[in-house]
Amino acid sequence: MDDGDLALRNLTYALVVELGRGPSAAEVADRAGQSRADVLAGWRRLHEQHALVLEAGGESLRMANPFSAVATPHRVVADGRRWYANCAWDAFGILAALGTDGGIETTCPDCGEAIELGVSDGRPEDESLVFHSLVPAAGWWDDIGFT
Amino acid sequence: MNLFRSEEHVERWLAGREPGATIPVATLAALGAAWWHDRVDPGWRPHTRAQNQAILDGLGLTGPFWRLP
Repeated sequence: MDDGDLALRNLTYALVVELGRGPSAAEVADRAGQSRADVLAGWRRLHEQHALVLEAGGESLRMANPFSAVATPHRVVADGRRWYANCAWDAFGILAALGTDGGIETTCPDCGEAIELGVSDGRPEDESLVFHSLVPAAGWWDDIGFT
Repeated sequence: MNLFRSEEHVERWLAGREPGATIPVATLAALGAAWWHDRVDPGWRPHTRAQNQAILDGLGLTGPFWRLP
């Protein structure tokens, strides 16, 4: 990853944090002083390196892991702001990346009951919950949208 | 990759499918921190496979399920 792509990646992440959603290529281009085509070309290189994930077609952001640029069943609340996470693992990752306490909002896939979990100093306030991953680690990037 | 109320909820949800791996939420919190803590740091650099495998191993997430490609 060269310095230009690293800077594009870092700017994209900074905008996700700032906006609470995925920025468009045009928004990133405007902030970076680049063309939209240059941003899309850079995003595609970063996608190939698993540094972010684009939607099919390569025109918009799907994941800036652990953040999701699209709505998911996993939300993170901190400092009065909200972000979508790609999965429950990533929800903890967002709080860790932001270095803050906060809350995770999701639902139990079995019973559909809402789960609202506070996290303080990195520790979940309800330790009775469990996490399940269906797909072994060797296959996570085979379909990063289904793990 | 989801949170469940309990292991009983996982089993019911699987409905006979091959299970993956179930871990306590406290372990997940530690995994989330170790794996993602640096993602918005200006000095972030991509983790190597060895770094990521060491994170899993360090949390006791060993065995074929947790072996990265």
